[in-house]
Amino acid sequence: MGFESKLPETGVITTTLEQVVNWSRKNSIWPLLFGLACCAIEMITTGTARHDIARFGSELFRASPRQADLMIVAGRVSNKMAPVIKRLYDEMAEPKWVIAMGICASAGGPFNNYAIVQGVDKIIPVDVYVPGCPPRPEALLYALTMLQKKIETEHLRDHNAPKQTELGVLLPDTSDLPPLPGA
Amino acid sequence: MTDPILALSNRFPDAVLETGDASGVPSVTVASDHLLDVGRFLRDELGFDLLSNLTVVDQLKLPPVQKTADARFVGVYHLRSVARDGELLQVKTPLPGGDNPVAPSVTGIWPGANWHEREAYDLFGVRYEGHPDLRRILMPDDWPGHPLRKDMPLGGERVPFSVTWDDDEFKMLGRQIMQPEQTPQAIPKGMDSRHMVVNMGPQHPSTHGVLRLIVELDGERIVNVEPDIGYLHSGFEKQGEHVRYKDFVYYTDRMDYVSAMQNNLSYVLAVEQLLGIEAPPRAQGIRVIMAELQRIAAHLVWLATHALDISGTGHALLMYAFREREEILDLFEMACGARLTTSYMRIGGVSDDLPPAFIPRLVEFLDYMDARLDEYRAMLEKNPLWRKRLEGIGPLSKKDAIAMGVTGPMLRGSGVAYDLRRARPYCGYDQYEFDIPTSDLGDSYGRYLVRMAEMKQSVRILRQAAAMLPEGDYLLDDPKIVPPKRDLLDQSMEALIHHFKLYTEGVTPGPGEVYRAIEAPKGEMGFYIVSDGSAHPYRLRIRTPSFANLQSIAMLSKGHLFSDLVVIIGTIDIVLGDVDR
Repeated sequence: MGFESKLPETGVITTTLEQVVNWSRKNSIWPLLFGLACCAIEMITTGTARHDIARFGSELFRASPRQADLMIVAGRVSNKMAPVIKRLYDEMAEPKWVIAMGICASAGGPFNNYAIVQGVDKIIPVDVYVPGCPPRPEALLYALTMLQKKIETEHLRDHNAPKQTELGVLLPDTSDLPPLPGA
Repeated sequence: MTDPILALSNRFPDAVLETGDASGVPSVTVASDHLLDVGRFLRDELGFDLLSNLTVVDQLKLPPVQKTADARFVGVYHLRSVARDGELLQVKTPLPGGDNPVAPSVTGIWPGANWHEREAYDLFGVRYEGHPDLRRILMPDDWPGHPLRKDMPLGGERVPFSVTWDDDEFKMLGRQIMQPEQTPQAIPKGMDSRHMVVNMGPQHPSTHGVLRLIVELDGERIVNVEPDIGYLHSGFEKQGEHVRYKDFVYYTDRMDYVSAMQNNLSYVLAVEQLLGIEAPPRAQGIRVIMAELQRIAAHLVWLATHALDISGTGHALLMYAFREREEILDLFEMACGARLTTSYMRIGGVSDDLPPAFIPRLVEFLDYMDARLDEYRAMLEKNPLWRKRLEGIGPLSKKDAIAMGVTGPMLRGSGVAYDLRRARPYCGYDQYEFDIPTSDLGDSYGRYLVRMAEMKQSVRILRQAAAMLPEGDYLLDDPKIVPPKRDLLDQSMEALIHHFKLYTEGVTPGPGEVYRAIEAPKGEMGFYIVSDGSAHPYRLRIRTPSFANLQSIAMLSKGHLFSDLVVIIGTIDIVLGDVDR
């Protein structure tokens, strides 16, 4: 086999911890099992025999957000669904990634109206956007490999600090509070 | 058989305000204070037992000559008689109350009106007096206003025509920028907090989409189920009133996204009836081929997910069913280049002729599909688990099914041989030989048998359609409606003018209204279109089968075990894009 034939006789190789962690992370990205609209049907198709997402280590669609690494937002996000998606995202453990599948999840698509959020990136951060209405299964697989490339280049320290405070947008501004009475 | 309008006028001379004809459908306008009496008479004595569609039209911007009475809002009811081959009657009633309309609730006559009236309340603000539980159904509870009223804007965001990366809107691109609003959840009306109330969804995978169920349990037994829908509400109806007739074909794909061809067909047939045209014979043959292929594909998705939910052998069946579905999608791709969202139908025909390799490939597919269906049946029906989990689960009687407005395989699974392809043939369905499978079991197993038999019948129709597909044009030759073909534009100035006019102004049917429905894989799918003579529909109402069928879930699941709820969701066969629109 390829790997074993390259091992030195001692069986020891040297690498960085970061590389090993990234290597294992990128080859077992478990998506969250949930779909929204048309794109979800193509997402299911990606998991079936012809396209076989298992070739990329992502066939384990987890029904619990606690066990999932990747959220594939497959379909249009309505105003009523948006809080649910945000909550699911928050429930996922770090490190986590998001693919916005299709034009609706990316930018609202043909539904520029009262009911639909114009892109899921208004509520959660997105790593890879996939164009298409819906994207073909091949396009989703390509997005997955793009995400793998991205994970390869990540640093352990990226996942150290909580994302929300780093951006400084979710914490309220406390600098201009009036003094409390009696203080 | 008596003429329903004549019978009504004789019986209620004061109530009938106006009679007419809506593109071939008899239409009668009655005063709203007589609506309940008229409704009861129509149901009990004239046999209009199925309420197909209930909606409201906001007449605010309608030209005065077209207005029904002086009221701002008009209630529109489409009634069918199952016994008389789905004979259709349109009843309209002007609603008193001006901007704050009131209507009598018809839930006492047709219980299936419940959700339709809640939807009309949600989207138009019509208060139905006597409704058991009038509250919002699609929009979030804290939503201000009623989006389908004509004085409400379409909403959405301005689309910039030129952007640079320095623009403000890109500053936060891909970052978490706002907290969505969260409304507090309460136990629904009618549920008892002494029982355990469990939330299911909207993310749970077995709900086949973003359906949320609030389940009241006594131990393992279901006491009540309250579906909370609208998580995929996309404003199709409002959007349809802001695009041209031609352009809405693309939207219809995205409603019941596992049966795009059927949605296309339903819409273009409605517009064609409004325009008073009919597609050429070859186009009709192609449409039947596509519609039946789509029916098999949609039923395969149902079978795959249903089996995945229930049985230990489920995962294998998912792979098999999707293997066959891929073959159908390949056929679609040959014809129109798309797999899922096909947009293949056009007003007046189909977008392209079939490629020469299509029919041989189709015949090849049909040859093995028949045998594959038997393989699935052997896998499932010889499995005791499969039978135990379906038999006797979710019983629905004939009477209840019709009263709830349930259609499609659900209705036929309760023993009613009602199929619009036979009852009201369209696209030349009367030329093909096929049976309408029914089952008297009335449970999930009966519905399973009906859907399996329907796939077999679709294969039978497809064989005939492939053999007798007529030669000729695939698009209507009418330059006022159908854009001229590309090669004509280089030769004819007239064709160029027609092309320009069609793409700048669009098709403009005369003032009028139409309700046209087809037998989609899940049941009756209809479009009700009101035209004010412009290039956009004035009112576009979509009657989707999943919405009406899902309403029966509480009735089906009472007294069963909690784990049977997954079976019942599967057997109703919903697609949330179809429920929420």
